[in-house]
Amino acid sequence: MKLSSILLRLVLPVAASAQLVSCATSKTKGSGTPTSPSTAAVQQAKPGTEAVDELDDYGSAAQVSDPLEGMNRVTFKINDGLYTFLLRPVSKGYVAVAPKPLRQGLDNFFDNVKFPVRFVNCTLQGKMKRAGQEVQKFGVNTFAGFGGLIRQSDKIPSLASVPAEDTGQTLGKWGLGNGPYLVLPVFGPSSMRDGVGMAGDYVLNPVNWGFFLKGSNDSWTWIPSTVNNVRSWPSQLELYDEARQNAVDPYISVRSVYIQNREAVVND
Amino acid sequence: MNRRSFLATTLLLSTLAGHSAQAATAEAEQKLHTAVEDVLAVTSRVSSRAALIESVRPTLTRHISFETMTRRAVGVGWKQFSAAQQQKATQLFTTLVIRTYSNRFTPGEKPVINYQTATEPASGRVDVPTTLVYKGSRYSVTYRLEQAGGWRIVDVVIEGVSMVANYRTQLDATFKKGGAAAVISSLEQSVSKA
Repeated sequence: MKLSSILLRLVLPVAASAQLVSCATSKTKGSGTPTSPSTAAVQQAKPGTEAVDELDDYGSAAQVSDPLEGMNRVTFKINDGLYTFLLRPVSKGYVAVAPKPLRQGLDNFFDNVKFPVRFVNCTLQGKMKRAGQEVQKFGVNTFAGFGGLIRQSDKIPSLASVPAEDTGQTLGKWGLGNGPYLVLPVFGPSSMRDGVGMAGDYVLNPVNWGFFLKGSNDSWTWIPSTVNNVRSWPSQLELYDEARQNAVDPYISVRSVYIQNREAVVND
Repeated sequence: MNRRSFLATTLLLSTLAGHSAQAATAEAEQKLHTAVEDVLAVTSRVSSRAALIESVRPTLTRHISFETMTRRAVGVGWKQFSAAQQQKATQLFTTLVIRTYSNRFTPGEKPVINYQTATEPASGRVDVPTTLVYKGSRYSVTYRLEQAGGWRIVDVVIEGVSMVANYRTQLDATFKKGGAAAVISSLEQSVSKA
């Protein structure tokens, strides 16, 4: 087996996990934010027996079914070690080697390439205005931003903060609940619904289309997805650390952050 | 009262209520502007994150109701805390929140904040949504303010994630396992971590 294939098998899921972790706070480089986060986060909670005062509506906030908690906690711990001993050193190396403008350019480029994921899911959710904005963004950034390396769309107010849509959100919009909370090996925090959604995103993301066209990992096809993965790690790890640091129970904190954010983006 | 005067009274009352709500949101918004400016003044003059944690404490204590945050973060178990335990939990939680908040700032980086239309979801509470551009990324941040000795911040919701709701899920579970002592002990452990 070629080194590229080994790397690919290792890196691909790790990056996908980082993408899921990123969903936990869904920091977006100008490409999507939930419009009413506070309501999404806590309005589902109703004051009642779980309320400590009149204005307390956090009673059932961030609730999710977690029947596999024991197994999930073990996987969480293993993943944590993997992030610490593999992703973090690689990520630090990348930041040390690649100057900031290059990293920013790559972030912009791969975000622009991901256009089909956002466009298809806007359309599937019937958000045609948003789908149109995605087309405009892609056009502006591709043609006026050197193939997407510069995010020119940020200079256009109507395109500066278009919320990004993914397949998990589409399934949620169609009425599918989270299902059981899952911590996937290497992939990290997810849910039954978002696990399915991730497969959809994988197929729709052009960085993976080489595999489908060539039907093999043994040629150049591993390069785009690997570069995409490595360039995303610094920011993804930052988000993961934010959810983990200062937590009383890091497992519950990451779960809560993940579920709250997903609720917000689905309801957006 | 005839029908016409009844209608007039109803209209007057609803207009007054509307003005009162507008006044409340305007007052809360103004308070938030002041709080953000105060915090940014501190962040712009410190050179390290460690210094920020110490320097920003008095400013945050002035603008944030840590007592309300701690009470809600603990949940119904709060009622079973003694006064001393409540004070201890508030003190520990305050330190934890200030550290969490400070960790989000990088000295030298200045955020651009765009305030959006505030809402009053309940009497005595105002939500102020903002868009924050920081280090090249765009965030959706909503500040929740309540009347707690004047308008004070009681929660910050970043990208749909409520800080209080996040701690509520953790501390409520801890309380159910070991009561007030377990909550305080777990807070102490978190605070003692570097």
